[in-house]
Amino acid sequence: MTADIFLFWLLASVTLLSGVGVVLVSNPIYSALCLAMTMVGVSAIFATLGAYFIAGVQMIVYAGAVMVLFVMVLMLFDLKTEIATFSRGRISGAIKIAIVGLLAGLIAGTFAMTTTIAGKPETKEKAGHAAKSLGELLFTKYVFGFEALGVLLLIIAIGVVGLARSKGGTHAKH
Amino acid sequence: MGESAFEIAINCVKLVLVFLLMVQMVPVLVWLERRGSGFIQNRFGPNRVGPLGLMQLLADAVKFLTKEEFVPKAATKLLFYAAPVFALLPGTLAFSAIPMASPLKWGEHTFLIQGYEIGVGIVFILAISSLAAYTILMAGWGSGNKFSLMGALRASAQTISYELALGLSLVGVIMMYGTFNLTEMIHAQEGAMQFQAFGFTISSSLLPNWGIFYQPLAAVLFFAATFAESNRLPFDLAEGEAELVAGFHTEYGGFKMLLFFIGEYGHMMVASGLMATFFFGGYNIPWTTTEQVYQWALGIVGSPDWASALSSAVHFAMFFAKLAAFLWIFIWVRWTLPRFRYDQLMDLGWKTMLPWALANTIITAVVVFAVSQTW
Amino acid sequence: MPLGGVIFIAVFVTVFGCLCLLAGRLLGGKKHQDAVKLAPYECGIPSQEKKDTKVSVKFYLTAILFILFDIEIIFMYPWATSFKQMISDGTGTAALVAMMIFILIFIFGLFWEIRSKALEWD
Repeated sequence: MTADIFLFWLLASVTLLSGVGVVLVSNPIYSALCLAMTMVGVSAIFATLGAYFIAGVQMIVYAGAVMVLFVMVLMLFDLKTEIATFSRGRISGAIKIAIVGLLAGLIAGTFAMTTTIAGKPETKEKAGHAAKSLGELLFTKYVFGFEALGVLLLIIAIGVVGLARSKGGTHAKH
Repeated sequence: MGESAFEIAINCVKLVLVFLLMVQMVPVLVWLERRGSGFIQNRFGPNRVGPLGLMQLLADAVKFLTKEEFVPKAATKLLFYAAPVFALLPGTLAFSAIPMASPLKWGEHTFLIQGYEIGVGIVFILAISSLAAYTILMAGWGSGNKFSLMGALRASAQTISYELALGLSLVGVIMMYGTFNLTEMIHAQEGAMQFQAFGFTISSSLLPNWGIFYQPLAAVLFFAATFAESNRLPFDLAEGEAELVAGFHTEYGGFKMLLFFIGEYGHMMVASGLMATFFFGGYNIPWTTTEQVYQWALGIVGSPDWASALSSAVHFAMFFAKLAAFLWIFIWVRWTLPRFRYDQLMDLGWKTMLPWALANTIITAVVVFAVSQTW
Repeated sequence: MPLGGVIFIAVFVTVFGCLCLLAGRLLGGKKHQDAVKLAPYECGIPSQEKKDTKVSVKFYLTAILFILFDIEIIFMYPWATSFKQMISDGTGTAALVAMMIFILIFIFGLFWEIRSKALEWD
């Protein structure tokens, strides 16, 4: 089992380091790339737990879609002035420290409340079966939530278009 | 996990071999592309260096290697250098997951002829290829040039748009095989055509049991989407010479450029390998099963170890032939079809391919459901 | 353990790429660089600043819509793998109906986007 433990520590440290990088790096683009790296690391940790499908989804949706959007948006702004207003100054510094304190409190609280660590699920060698049982659960027990999610995504799609064309911009109504 | 040092070593060697195979294919493909374009356009192509111009590969490599190292002043150095290195990753990681031949059983060991066997093969490959957008964005922004930035933006918007059609066209395929695993898919395509319908078993010795006969629409959509994913003509809007110079790699030259090349050809090889795996029986020889080939090999060499090795070699040759066929189609299309306009490209992705992929999903679901009912 | 292999080849390829860059640097020809050569590529006129590049909001719109539809497609994957299994388990009808409703919502969204010209490029 030593290889497993080594892998876990390696992935955990990579994930945490890139997570810390998100906060500490002053250039927003590097920050976003660090966040993407964190997502990849989280997905790899899912894979060590045997949740291969979830690992893939984490990578496709977060690393491959959400973070691509973030990076794309950041790259198109003039970042020089934003960096200055965003990363210097007392108020933003105070906010940062407050957020770090809050997070530290949350983590400490989690550690204090967790007494046992749940054992690893036994599905490790049956990657395909995990996805299959997920599908079966999704369409029997949680079918209502699933349909609600479809509606939610539809509403978001409509809202996005509404926002994009509301005022100014290339999509504005004439 | 009970893995011995021997198995770990073998796996590492295998992975490096797969990677080297991929890298070695690139100069051959470049040569093929240039000779092929010459052939298609009724001109010679490179024919001076060595027989058939084959030594051109070597000459090109030397040229790439001795080019002046250059970084524009406006570039962000870290991203500018990181982008070509990361360009290698998606192709290699995805290609290693494709099974290339039947497993080689030698004594008590079983060697899979692929980089690694991933239970959720398709999801892994889609996840890895979705990271390709970062390379483009890093290169485009890191170059500090507006042409590069515009090219990167167009390329990434195009890549993500076609990822939808790509992902959706595979839903029908997954439904047919009932698995994410590429090896299981290949096993499902063994032998002559045979399937269950309304409780009867229908078989035909005229056709092999390939996925394309069950999912023809998905095959077309998938192949078209992979062209867009690998930024090849007719979808290479990212480097429209007339308006954007060379897109996101405008500022790149020498070995950095070569790394982008390897990345692009890596995408093509992954796409071709996946086409073969999903729709054309993978490493299987048409109309035969893996077992039949093994028995045939056993009849020739006698010992089970060598028979397994021979059958692996035959299957590998078959897979490679299929791979080469699709790679040639990639090259052929490049020199045949003109480039789209950007609005046509987006219309094709969102308004044509996505609805058709949805239709394919619905039809497959209904047919699979109807056919499973027994009368 | 495929994950170890994935990490191994990822590191190997990264190192290989870095070595290639290093080789290009060491073997590359003599440097002749001046201000004009180091300037961003442009056809003889001074280059525009990167920040002056105005970009259409449609790129963001495309990216956001991509995320939404991508999530919907991802939800079809576990259904697709287990559909045949569910048919033989007898829950096939329910699964088919549930997915058809989901796909109808998807189609409604897609055609709404097309109708509202959110996907028009010019």
